[in-house]
Amino acid sequence: MLLQLKNIFKWVNSGGQRIFLLKDINLQVEEGEFISVMGPSGSGKSTLLNVIGMLDTFDEGEYHFLDESVHTLKEKHRSNLYKEYIGFVFQSYHLLDDLKVYENLEMPLLYKKFKGSERRAMVADMLDRFNIVGKKDLFPAQLSGGQQQLVGVARALIANPKLILADEPTGNLNSQQSEEIMQLFKRLNEEDGVTIIQVTHSEKNAAYGSRVINLLDGRMV
Amino acid sequence: MYTLFLKIATRYLFKNKLYSLINILGLSIGVASFVLIMLYVDHEKSYDTFEGSENVYRAYMDYQEGGKWVAGDANTYIVTGPTLKDEFPEIKDFLRFRYVNGVLLLRGNQVFEHTKGSLADPSYFKIFHSQLKQGDVTTALDEPYSIILTEALAQKVFGSEDPMGKSLKLMDSYGPIFTVTGILKEDHRNTHIKNDFLISFSTFRAWEVFEGDWERTWTQNVYYTYFSIDPNTNTALLQQKIKDFKIEALPYERHNIEPLEDIHLYSNKPYEAEANGSIQRVRFLFVIGVIIMVLSWLNYINLSTAKSLERAKETGVRKVAGAQKPQIVFQSLLESFLLNGIAILVAIGIVFIALPSFNTFIGKDLSLGISNIDQMLPIFGLVCLGSLVSGLYPAFVLSRYTPANTLKGKVNTSPVGLQVRKGLIVGQFFATIILLVGTLMVNKQILFLKDRPIGADLEQVVALHWQVLNLGSDSDSTLVQGIRAFKDELRNIPFVEKTATANTFPGGRYEDLGSSAGITFPNGTRDEKRITYNYSVSPTFFELMDFTFVAGGPFKETSRGYSNEIVMNERFVQYMGISEMDEAIGKTVRFWEQDWTIAGILKDYHHFGLKTGIEPIILRYAPSSNNILVKLDQKAMASGGMEQAMVQIEGTWKKIFPESTFNYTFLDQNFEAQYKDDKTFGTAFQIFTVLSILIASMGLFGLTSYTVVRRKKEIGVRKVNGATILQILALLNTDFVKWVGFAFAMAIPVSWYAMNQWLNGFAYKTSMSWWVFALSGFLALVIALATVSWQSFKAATQNPVESLRTE
Repeated sequence: MLLQLKNIFKWVNSGGQRIFLLKDINLQVEEGEFISVMGPSGSGKSTLLNVIGMLDTFDEGEYHFLDESVHTLKEKHRSNLYKEYIGFVFQSYHLLDDLKVYENLEMPLLYKKFKGSERRAMVADMLDRFNIVGKKDLFPAQLSGGQQQLVGVARALIANPKLILADEPTGNLNSQQSEEIMQLFKRLNEEDGVTIIQVTHSEKNAAYGSRVINLLDGRMV
Repeated sequence: MYTLFLKIATRYLFKNKLYSLINILGLSIGVASFVLIMLYVDHEKSYDTFEGSENVYRAYMDYQEGGKWVAGDANTYIVTGPTLKDEFPEIKDFLRFRYVNGVLLLRGNQVFEHTKGSLADPSYFKIFHSQLKQGDVTTALDEPYSIILTEALAQKVFGSEDPMGKSLKLMDSYGPIFTVTGILKEDHRNTHIKNDFLISFSTFRAWEVFEGDWERTWTQNVYYTYFSIDPNTNTALLQQKIKDFKIEALPYERHNIEPLEDIHLYSNKPYEAEANGSIQRVRFLFVIGVIIMVLSWLNYINLSTAKSLERAKETGVRKVAGAQKPQIVFQSLLESFLLNGIAILVAIGIVFIALPSFNTFIGKDLSLGISNIDQMLPIFGLVCLGSLVSGLYPAFVLSRYTPANTLKGKVNTSPVGLQVRKGLIVGQFFATIILLVGTLMVNKQILFLKDRPIGADLEQVVALHWQVLNLGSDSDSTLVQGIRAFKDELRNIPFVEKTATANTFPGGRYEDLGSSAGITFPNGTRDEKRITYNYSVSPTFFELMDFTFVAGGPFKETSRGYSNEIVMNERFVQYMGISEMDEAIGKTVRFWEQDWTIAGILKDYHHFGLKTGIEPIILRYAPSSNNILVKLDQKAMASGGMEQAMVQIEGTWKKIFPESTFNYTFLDQNFEAQYKDDKTFGTAFQIFTVLSILIASMGLFGLTSYTVVRRKKEIGVRKVNGATILQILALLNTDFVKWVGFAFAMAIPVSWYAMNQWLNGFAYKTSMSWWVFALSGFLALVIALATVSWQSFKAATQNPVESLRTE
């Protein structure tokens, strides 16, 4: 078992009222799963992903990740945990505009204290695997959307995470680019055994996964 | 539409309280400092300006030293005026002043002291363009024993009575009787020569007991001479002619002239009527004022441009709704005017509140009001113009945003704009570091001067002022006996350790020194080229001052209380060309038509303070004394304290001279008073440095908020990818450190040069230590980091979820 959410509640207080963002979420994710989270806008998909990614806190419930109880961990410990095991992919890629492709890939490794030689090897490996060696000296603005997201995925994968969290990874892409990214996810999941949780609006993309979770007003339905 | 704009502008100001506060505060501090400094600068530059003042010149003496002419005393001879007027037709009229300082004024038995005035020629009213409130300007200064009072003095002496025609006595009860012939009209003029009263110059002829009959001679230069010159004169030519005009009696001197208006800031000669201002100081402060003003405008530009990013969306919406570029610019300008307007009002408030303490601080009487509105208008015009210009830049930046991008939340930050802002910050820190170096150096120099041994012990020495004797005759037996009796009484007071009498003392005024333009050395050679100074003391003076003799010793005490023995300093012996100090003892020098025997040689001490070097000086044995010096005992002092000691001494004084008053000066305080201007300058430097640091920090604060907004996404991405708070902080702060470093590198040579210039005004200079620069750079860095870190810490600790939510 990779992670387990037990009775997770998250709310905000607005005008004396408690508005629930997540309501009694129970979820168990095994290693090697490919899960798609679906639901209308505002149903809490991104919030759920952020909670799983430890970027956001919750107000009630328990969260176990591997052998750690995330809800009892201190901020610093928690960030070490996600630094080591989780990679993020965003809809709008969130590459750093001032850095070249190569440097964008290297950036997470800098924060994980890899040595220079290791970093070079890992970046070279990633460029190779994603077939973007020729693009390594380009800036994000010089790439197409699909290529940018490719770099985004490569960056998420570079430190060998156990879990990839993808928030509408194809939301900004055309159908062909979209197809390519989903194929890539599938391959990663099947061949490398990476666990993937993606938020998506598209039934077609959801079909790539092994399990679908539907959210409505913060509840799993 | 305009009311709507105004409404939006006011709402915006109130909504962003911190931003508005910082902006208004920064601007108003800048404007207030600028206005205060400009008031001061204007005041200093306004000395002796009146109708026709540009045609008034003052004569002074040049002295020949080593074959070259150097500017000598501000004082000229009694015949300077009439002689030059006869010689040069360009000179329309002359005016002489003979200062009579610190005299007593008696009305019946009532004593008024601390007045200073002059003997003056009747041309006073024409040349100085003065008017009388009462009396007739054509006759008021004609008759001997006529006196004219200022309104203030007349009020003090006569109260509500009409003073015209009333009599007044000057000096002690033996003094002559004067008739009040006029009351000066108060014109609040700044002048380098201040008089509480004027006595008709013709009194001089009748007043032999005071001066002796020196009226037709070139023997004593104690007179200020002013000329009114024909407006069509080529003054450079006239000056040359005056310089070339030889006076037989004065082979080593010549006359020279300088414009009246320049005296206060540029002249600075020995025997000035009052301590001059300093053009250097005025320039320094002017530059600081401009720096502060510009800093605060840069700040405003920085802050409002940074803030405009947040308003990009509003601009986008407005553009989509049909607003044209000029309208966007106009609204932004309107806001800028509103903000600047408030800031200027606050600044005026600050100026009014700060002016009294500023006045006390600089020892001036500056004012701001309707009376000097013409003086203030250009200053405020400049301020308004600056506000307009500083409002334009943010306005155009804002209007440039394209609505399609801004509505999507994307702001196209132009790299040029960022460079501009970086440049502004570098500029601000450049100025800040220069001011920091200045502050540290000025303080270092003042401490250096204070710590330097002066070669005499001035601690616990009090000078009791002997005004009655000063203006009476030295040989008046009742007064001499009075002094003796007083000194005997003093010896009976337990805490009085030593007493002496002296004309002046280390740190005393120039005008209390006697001077001689020619001296005959022991080997018979006569040197006319150099003015040497001397003063008279009693034999006990040397021990009291803790002077060291390198050869010989003090005068032998005589029953007459004077002799022809003198003591000189080492420098004087060197000046006479004698290498062995012992050789000089017992030798004779001749000046003032008299032979003097050298009794002792003093180790050099600082008579004039540390701004100038050590000059040759002679101490004569004579009873003529302005001061009784009293050295107080340390042990006895501890019990009663200084105040009680002075009360007891005053009691003794009053017993012997019941009709006089009592004045005293502590010598150590007096000596330090010569650094008063420098200290004031130092403090002003400090205050304005703190202010400019404050303003620069505000600018930095603005830029940081800008940078943080700009890099929000980057910070989020990096954090998600594992960057720690510390790493983010380092990322954000490195740039600022670089800029401060850059500013530091540029500031070093500039501040080094500026401080070198300032130190050149001192004979004894402290060193320009490397640590002064290092410390300034370090302080600037700490200030920068502290300012930046507040915001970058906020950004670094922010949850990346916030910044990455673009969907």
